[in-house]
Amino acid sequence: MVYEFEGRSEKEAIDAAAEELDLERDGFDVEILESQVGSIFKKGKVRIRVHTRDVAPSVARREVAGNPLPEDDFEAKVLEFTKRMIEGMGYTCEVAVLFREEKKLGIRIDSEHASIIIGKKGKNLDALQVLANVYSGRLGREDTRVILDSENYRIRREEALVRLAYETGEQVRRTRQSVLLEPMNPFERRIIHTTLNDIVDIETKSEGEGLYKQVRVTFRGKA
Amino acid sequence: MERDLVEYIAKSLVDDPASVSVAVVEGDKSTILELRVAAEDIGKVIGKHGRIAKAMRTILSASSGASDKRVVLEILD
Repeated sequence: MVYEFEGRSEKEAIDAAAEELDLERDGFDVEILESQVGSIFKKGKVRIRVHTRDVAPSVARREVAGNPLPEDDFEAKVLEFTKRMIEGMGYTCEVAVLFREEKKLGIRIDSEHASIIIGKKGKNLDALQVLANVYSGRLGREDTRVILDSENYRIRREEALVRLAYETGEQVRRTRQSVLLEPMNPFERRIIHTTLNDIVDIETKSEGEGLYKQVRVTFRGKA
Repeated sequence: MERDLVEYIAKSLVDDPASVSVAVVEGDKSTILELRVAAEDIGKVIGKHGRIAKAMRTILSASSGASDKRVVLEILD
């Protein structure tokens, strides 16, 4: 897959790519398209093209659930940490392994309070997931991404985003007007970018600062 | 209770759990939780661009006790 990013310096552009694509620096190749060195009076600008080695995130693969019980000390500790955070918030819950993939551990949270645990647009689930990932890094597993889910929220959200991406793409092609989508986390933005990446006359780009940026979908004409 | 939640998370993320303490300051409309950690560990509870602190604040605001009173997390050094 090919993406384009820019920043005020080469490092900034590469950091932006790593964050947006949710990859480590060694997970993609960088080609510099344009590089203007900044001065005191002028901001620098570096445009890069990023090539990722494709690992298509497939929803189907996740259905191979496997054993819900922890199989090693690492899994047991991350499950325990997740459960105790939620109990600390004052909600009872059960946690189990949802899926295991290379460098990924999915955890399912079952609770009668699922709606508050997920939160508005998954805000609370995202926060719990951030902490679970920091904790997993503390256990020496920086390479493993922990994904928390409840009531299949992530999969449902993923499907909804793919639909949103196609619909927005159609609208942009029809009206030739660009559309700015609502703020999304890196994982969600990546779904939009990836879905529209293959469509030649549509371009996507993130705007804004911080964790929750917005994707702008623009028409770029026949290639 | 929120104090225990903050303490549990902080202790899980730092190198020096024995130096973690959480003081509770009760106000009329809000409860302030003052988190203190060892100087070397402060980055571990704040995170890059405050990512970890923000996540802790988010789950505090979603905790069941926060419905009656606002809970404010302060990280002190």
